[in-house]
Amino acid sequence: MSRTLETSSLKRKRPEADPLGLVDNERAILNAIKSKKDLGIWVRDIKQETKLTDHVVNKSLKSLLTRKLIKEVVNIQNKGKKHYMAVEFEPSKEVSGGVWYVDGNLDKELVNILKQLCLRCIRVQKVATLERVYEDLKKQRVVNFEISSQQVSEILNSMVLDNEIIEVKSTGLSEYYSIPIGTVCYRFDSGPGVARGSKIGAFASIPCGACPRISLCTPDGIISPSTCVYYTKWLNIDF
Amino acid sequence: MVSQYGIKLAAYLISSSYGDFCSKVCECLLSRGTLTLAQIIRFTELSRENVINCLRVLIHQNCVQAFSIQQEVAFGEAPKIVTQYMVLFDNTIHKMRFPKFMQIVSEELGKDCLGIFEGLLQHGRLSLNQIIDRNMQTPDNSDVHAVQESFSRLLNACFVERCPAPEPFLAPPEEETPAKKRGTKSAKIAEAPKTIEQRALETAAPMESIRFLMEIDTLSGASEEKGMESHNIATLEEKWKQDFSDAELSSSGKKKEILWRVNFEEFVRRLRHKACIEYVRIRLSDQAGIVLSAILELTRSSETRLKTDKSASMSINDIYDEVIKKDGGLGMDLERVRASLVQLGCQIPTTGIDETYSIDLKNIIELAQNEEVESVVLKRYGREAYRIFRLLTKSGRLLETDKISDTTFVEKKDTLKILYKLWKDGYLHMEKVSVNGPKQALFLLWEVNKESLWVCVLDEMHHAALNLRLRITYEQDQEKEILQLPTEKLVGELEKRYKRLRKVRIILESSLMNLDDALMLFHDF
Repeated sequence: MSRTLETSSLKRKRPEADPLGLVDNERAILNAIKSKKDLGIWVRDIKQETKLTDHVVNKSLKSLLTRKLIKEVVNIQNKGKKHYMAVEFEPSKEVSGGVWYVDGNLDKELVNILKQLCLRCIRVQKVATLERVYEDLKKQRVVNFEISSQQVSEILNSMVLDNEIIEVKSTGLSEYYSIPIGTVCYRFDSGPGVARGSKIGAFASIPCGACPRISLCTPDGIISPSTCVYYTKWLNIDF
Repeated sequence: MVSQYGIKLAAYLISSSYGDFCSKVCECLLSRGTLTLAQIIRFTELSRENVINCLRVLIHQNCVQAFSIQQEVAFGEAPKIVTQYMVLFDNTIHKMRFPKFMQIVSEELGKDCLGIFEGLLQHGRLSLNQIIDRNMQTPDNSDVHAVQESFSRLLNACFVERCPAPEPFLAPPEEETPAKKRGTKSAKIAEAPKTIEQRALETAAPMESIRFLMEIDTLSGASEEKGMESHNIATLEEKWKQDFSDAELSSSGKKKEILWRVNFEEFVRRLRHKACIEYVRIRLSDQAGIVLSAILELTRSSETRLKTDKSASMSINDIYDEVIKKDGGLGMDLERVRASLVQLGCQIPTTGIDETYSIDLKNIIELAQNEEVESVVLKRYGREAYRIFRLLTKSGRLLETDKISDTTFVEKKDTLKILYKLWKDGYLHMEKVSVNGPKQALFLLWEVNKESLWVCVLDEMHHAALNLRLRITYEQDQEKEILQLPTEKLVGELEKRYKRLRKVRIILESSLMNLDDALMLFHDF
């Protein structure tokens, strides 16, 4: 009897003994992946940690994927390298790029939709604080995730950088009467010159301002004001 | 030091008006700095006579200032006095903007003053008698009193000033008394030491009390100028005889009449104010423009230096009284004036006792400069680069690549490409930081280095201004036969070409004047 038991203990553990039914290699690899939690792990790092051969690792990963114990994730820092994560974890911001990234690419459509909604809110209210815009967006329930005030602030800031809206501090007077003095708010740039489209700088309005060859241009050179094709095109436009 | 294309533009402007020799002398002084006559002759390889004539013209046209200093000699030798010549770059570039100065005089003082002013622009320096004589030769001449009256109005507006001393003597710095040294020691630590050129200009400048005064007449221009001691005059005359023969002596050194010239400083001040008002009017509102215009009108005469950071403080009542005199200002009440002041960055005082306001002009200039450069970035590198550049300008510190990407919503791989391009072209400064840890990581940090970038931008603007001038000349050369034809022969194809030339000139010349506004924004304001 004991010999049979001894013999059986020397044998490889039967798969049914592991709670998930994994063999040793698969368990070792799964543990390595789980240990990285929401950061994920690169295939080569798995091989280094577990000291298993390429063939064994690849086979085990395939098995774990089929059993839906792990998933493949795109690491925004290294899109070309295959990374794996245990299914119970969501990729951290460092890996995924944050809520604005999908499969390692910027979700431009999402960003544009939110920008348009923010602009509509500001258009209606004339002057809006971050809180008002955030409340407005939450009410509309356009996105299927819980949008945070921080995320709305990021969208508004990027529009300020694009000069689509301006950031001002409430003076408490006129259109700011309902906003406490000193509170940051957002509005469209309402200067008279803006409406007339006079925002382009004087230097940028002439060919030299936009010219990529200005450092090569000389009075008598091959590229010169008298031979410049950009000037010729510009002067032939019907003003 | 003046940048490469600043020098080329100045040389071109001098060449257009006074010929190639004068241009060569001007370029030599701009490239090499202040020089003696012998050095100028050596570097330009022009004859002594030509160089002397050019210097006379350039001094007369206020583009060069002479001064004398004591040269170091070996122990026991008599002190040697040397004349040096420094170029006045700003005055040279002002030649491009004479139409703007004339417009200011025309709008403020009218046609009669404009006539006198034009003469001073053209001739550089004139005495009052020369101004009167010149007027007598014009078809619609006025009597002597009318001319003196117009001249007096120009002086009162500070548009015209007394010419500086032709060749002041700069005493060596060691000659300061010990008592004076002790008293100013702490002040000296705070101030940067003055260059010899700054000292020369200060010494040459007439005293403020007589700068715009017509009544005082002097027997000899040299003896009344500050910084000149009587014993130096004999030495100076001796020195002049070495450099210039009696026949060659600069007329401004010999003549006893006071010479007058355009006071460029006042025009630059007016244009600075105009730029601030225009910026505020476009960015904020017409009313904010009216309020700023009122404040600057009131505070202009109290500005002691050109690049004043803040306007003098004015009370709300004084501001209001000036506002209602302006076009569009009559309908404004105190509340609207206060609202405009808040738009201009002022804070309403909590107590009503001492309600005064002052405007941060330096901030307005900086905002205008930022917008000008941002416009160029947008045109040259696109919208994403524009967002990135604005982020870095606003933050004013080093930011890491990922942080820039996240804040501007630009794809991470594109962010790095754009940053490298901007860095390569001199718009950004980059620093590498490596972090040692479980994994070695290299971070790239970026920022806008305004000081060096502004110098590059200014040089490119000088380059662009020169290009516009050269293109105007080229277009006119191309059609020179048409310009010589009488109007009745301009038909058909010739008429078409003539009209095209006219259109092209308008575009190029108006673009040049606009670009000049931007040039002044970076150089003079």
